[in-house]
Amino acid sequence: MLLREVEYARPSSVDEALWLLGAHEGARALAGGQTLVNVMKARAASPDVLVDLNRLEDLRRICVSGETLQLGAMATCTQIMGSSEVEVSRPILGEVAAQIADVQVRNRGTIGGNVCSNDPTNHLPPLLVALDATFTVLGPSGERTVPVGEFFLGVYLTAVGEGELLTSIEVPAAGNAADGFASITIGRDGTCIVNAAASLESGSPRIAIGCVDAVPVLIQPAATDEESVRGAVQDARLEPPSDVHASADYRRHLAGVCAVRAVKQAEERGR
Amino acid sequence: MSETIETATPVAPEQALVVEETGAPQRGFAGQNVPRKEDKRLVQGEGLFVDDIKRHGMGYAHYVRSPYAHANIVSIDVSRAESLDGVYGTLIGEEVAAVTEPFFQISSPPGAHVKDYALALGKVRHVGDPVAIVVAQTRELARDAAELVEVEYEPLPALVDARRALEPDAPLLHDEAGGNLSWSGIYEWGDVDSAFAEADHVVKISELHFDRFNSTPLETDGALVEFNRGTGQWTIYTNNQFPGFAAIMMGPAMRSGLDKLRFVTQDIGGGFGNKITSHPQLVAICLLARKLNRPIQWTEWRTDFHLTMSHGNERWFQDTEVAVTSDGTLLGFRTKAIDDAGAFLRYEPLGGVIWAQVTPGCYRWKHVRLEFTQVMTNKAPVSPNRGYSRMQHLWFTERVIDIVAHELGLDPVEVRKRNYVRADEMPYTTPNGCVYDSGDYARMLDVGLELIGYDRLDERRRDAESRGKLLGFGIGSTLDSGTNNFAQSRLINPELQFSGNNEVATVKLDLFGEVVVTLGTTPQGQGHETTAAMVVADIIGITPDDINVRAGHDSYWNSHAGFSGTYASQFAVTGLGAVKGAAEKLAGEIKKLGSVVLGCGVDDLELAEGHVRMKANPEAALPLMACGAIINANNAGLPEDLDVTLNARYVFRPQFEVPDLERKYGNLTLTYAAQIHVALVEVDPETGVYEVVDYAAVDDCGKRIHPQIVEGQVMGATAHALGAATYETYAYDDDGNLLTPNFYDYHVPHSMDMPPLRTGYIESPSPFTPLGTKGMGEGGGAGIHAVCAALQDALAARGKPIVYDSHNPYHRVWELLQDPEASRSRVEVVAQ
Amino acid sequence: MSAQEPTTSRVVTVEVNGQSYERNVDVRRLLIHFLRDDLDLTGSHIGCDTGNCGACSLLLDGTLVKSCMLLAVQADGGRIETVEGLAAEGELTPMQEAFSAHHALQCGYCTPGMLMSATALLRVNPRPSEDEIRKGLQGNICRCTGYWNIIDAVKAASGQEVASRE
Repeated sequence: MLLREVEYARPSSVDEALWLLGAHEGARALAGGQTLVNVMKARAASPDVLVDLNRLEDLRRICVSGETLQLGAMATCTQIMGSSEVEVSRPILGEVAAQIADVQVRNRGTIGGNVCSNDPTNHLPPLLVALDATFTVLGPSGERTVPVGEFFLGVYLTAVGEGELLTSIEVPAAGNAADGFASITIGRDGTCIVNAAASLESGSPRIAIGCVDAVPVLIQPAATDEESVRGAVQDARLEPPSDVHASADYRRHLAGVCAVRAVKQAEERGR
Repeated sequence: MSETIETATPVAPEQALVVEETGAPQRGFAGQNVPRKEDKRLVQGEGLFVDDIKRHGMGYAHYVRSPYAHANIVSIDVSRAESLDGVYGTLIGEEVAAVTEPFFQISSPPGAHVKDYALALGKVRHVGDPVAIVVAQTRELARDAAELVEVEYEPLPALVDARRALEPDAPLLHDEAGGNLSWSGIYEWGDVDSAFAEADHVVKISELHFDRFNSTPLETDGALVEFNRGTGQWTIYTNNQFPGFAAIMMGPAMRSGLDKLRFVTQDIGGGFGNKITSHPQLVAICLLARKLNRPIQWTEWRTDFHLTMSHGNERWFQDTEVAVTSDGTLLGFRTKAIDDAGAFLRYEPLGGVIWAQVTPGCYRWKHVRLEFTQVMTNKAPVSPNRGYSRMQHLWFTERVIDIVAHELGLDPVEVRKRNYVRADEMPYTTPNGCVYDSGDYARMLDVGLELIGYDRLDERRRDAESRGKLLGFGIGSTLDSGTNNFAQSRLINPELQFSGNNEVATVKLDLFGEVVVTLGTTPQGQGHETTAAMVVADIIGITPDDINVRAGHDSYWNSHAGFSGTYASQFAVTGLGAVKGAAEKLAGEIKKLGSVVLGCGVDDLELAEGHVRMKANPEAALPLMACGAIINANNAGLPEDLDVTLNARYVFRPQFEVPDLERKYGNLTLTYAAQIHVALVEVDPETGVYEVVDYAAVDDCGKRIHPQIVEGQVMGATAHALGAATYETYAYDDDGNLLTPNFYDYHVPHSMDMPPLRTGYIESPSPFTPLGTKGMGEGGGAGIHAVCAALQDALAARGKPIVYDSHNPYHRVWELLQDPEASRSRVEVVAQ
Repeated sequence: MSAQEPTTSRVVTVEVNGQSYERNVDVRRLLIHFLRDDLDLTGSHIGCDTGNCGACSLLLDGTLVKSCMLLAVQADGGRIETVEGLAAEGELTPMQEAFSAHHALQCGYCTPGMLMSATALLRVNPRPSEDEIRKGLQGNICRCTGYWNIIDAVKAASGQEVASRE
């Protein structure tokens, strides 16, 4: 509907942005706005200060450095889809970004915003868990690297604290890596009911299941055959939420299905 | 301005609407796809929708709404809100009750006792029930101030399941009504007991459910109201789609004459029936315009629409029994319908009789017993939704025939053809005296089967199987009954003084030869300006481009009547009937004038190419511009008794009688368009996820004035039905909270969700209408019926589950796959 | 430093359909309301609360966005194109003509946003396949047409042949 009164600042450098986030209690970074502005319209959350990151071109860079694909936190889904670096190094990122909502949302929505909002139905958090990404967080005392296992803390909650800024996400560059992603959505390209990302790189498979818990659930079966995967999902003892789109039972069932499908897709690519 | 009221005269079906031809032949426009007049402004963003209208000094209104499904209002304090800078004022229920009467109730007792005001009084009865309105200088300030209104509630238990509404310990919504019953009635025709005695099988279905959803027009409700203190005149710029009804409800409530309520609409962003019952909001905004002495602007939020507006009737069908002979002839059925009206009766309980327009559906069964019970619950009030009340019933008849075929091993195509009303039986009188005017359902089904490639069905099944999918084939037969006889309301309440129907149009020939048309309708995309111009063009001998059809509706044009509006699939009959009548009247007057000026008989004249001219000598001609000039500005010397004004007003009134209220027997609608749809779905048995992979829609709406517009309606109705079949539902939790209050959770089809579509049509002209047209546009939910049937067929190999709900999201399909016996337990076949 | 101080309102300069505007606007005002209420450009519409319907779609610096999820201040210095800017001197674009010819609009409420999305699509993909058209319009809800005619119109506007449905 309509936002509450709020203050706005438009920094022209990352340092300025960081300073603003630290200087004002209740300050929040405004990235793509495809989630935050809606939250503010509904008045479900009303930060006191918005720090608009959209002019910070430094945060939009996508580059490959050695064995690492580095994505600036403000890189939009559309950028990721069109990036030759992504296509060569870790194409699954572009393929999954392409499934998010619609063109308009992808043109503004950023990878940083998607992971920092950490809505359980988002696509990118489980994908990044499967890819074993790391997150570069800038704070008042400098930069730190957060491994994916420590990044997603709860619903809408990540390791990025007050006065801090996610600046980039690092993903191992592994061109033609055996990655897969499967989801059941409400309508085509709609909100996910359950999703799962699988990465078969480097030995043990990593499968991350989304929509079933506050944060993506990582399972690492010993092998990639269907029985092992299903067994691992069962062992995870998922307690998914029940809502108008799916009961807990149905979600649990779909989790197993999506995990298997994501693995199959990854195996097909690996060939 | 002269006025004549004539009754409808039927036109011979094959008569084309062309101007008499001599000399220069002129083709009729009817039947062609004339470019739409509406398009030029709409594609440039120059349409005028209600939120586009601005007035100096206007205040923006924001509603304060109940967060509880059921609660007493202990206190309301608006003082903090009113003291916010930029706030112009507020309105609460007590004020409303002091200056208005409760809304007229259509129902007989007990529904008649419900007290309904423009704002909640004393208690709230559904989440979103409005308790106060704040008006401020900007939208944002109004929203801010709304948060400062302090309301203290005392929550009460909520009633969410209509099947429990009449239990002794059910929460009571309206004390004055003494219970949650709004209306009940028993309908019985034919000889039901004999039919069941005679039957070879009785198929019993314990419970079927038609789900709650609506059409979510993209533009929400809204109004900008100005009050003229000097004259007491309200000008209501709005997008209400049935001003006739709104005026009848608002006038007495506001203690105002109807002429003081001027409704002005131009472009409306979709209606689908969902913009009929905005009169409570309009009353509130009117009161604020008067109280605050400034124009008041209100646009409904999407969330508020979902929470409060026009849900479609949710209906349970319990204890259904179907009498069938062994060759698959359906003899009759008995059922008990429980209809959930939500918290207030705005257009209800008309839903309790409207379904009877299509009592047997497309079928020839003669023996029917239906016990109808409507109850109120702590959910949003229902109102007509595309297919209103007939759709629920037609879904029921289609489920019944599909389940009967399923259980008795009958071919779904053959059983329908065996039982369809036949073309040679038309006009067909149904068990309760409705008359299906024309149609050929069997032929339509054949067209649909051919479009879908029915002969290759087995091949497609095998192909689907090879990909691990289950293919299902389903038929959805439905009717679009149009042009109501409002006397049917007396079956609900014999005291009501409504009957028949009407619509008005004016056509004038002005000073400089301009032909101007006004309509009483309120189109929301159906192309009335265009089709009206086509009809006039054919009669007056000009082109649609020469005709100015005023956009929208305005009470000041005085071209409306008691039932004016755009709803219930009727424009092609009532609206165009009025246009035809007015144009013919004008044509007659032009000829009269021409006969005087040209010195000949009226029958010697024709209208063609913008002239009135002698048939035998086309050179002897008077341009229409000259006619307009003579009457308006140059009329000296005309015969004293020349009754010509060139300004014709016509009220179309279809021929109806008041039904026999005792037997509940009589014609309730003038026309019956039909739709036969066929769907192919593929189900993923591992997840219950399914896709409509092929779809054919065959329609018959009689004579098509503008085929592209007709097809557009068919497509739109199909999309609505497919949305309702798979995605759309107004689901509530046990506390009465709506779980789908916006487009995020209430998923409507987007462009990637639509299946491939094939269309076909036949034209069975109506013998009862001026142009042979039938109203259409609602679509009768054909897509829902077809998808239900297709899903049941797809899952047949997995334990033969029964599809029992109109709404089948993936999780329900999965449940049917997981436990077919649970759904099967609803059905029993008894051999006799 | 004044440039760094957060404020509740700002002066915003935007170019809309080739015309420049400068206004002092509340930071919390959404771009769609700024256009409709402050600049009287009512061609772009509002159909929802949650950024799902796309009726507010327009081009900002050549990029298709939903203006209900942007603050007006974020468009400062930007170049906006809305439906009102499509037809030059009343001469409809091929896309607008195609929409009319193919009956791709009924009530016309979704049409401005739909036209902007379709126009944006053809700029990046001049001859899209049917699937690509559907994907390009996925962010625009229509409740009247069922989308079939809209897809035909976009195909036609891109110079491709449109098959009959019958």
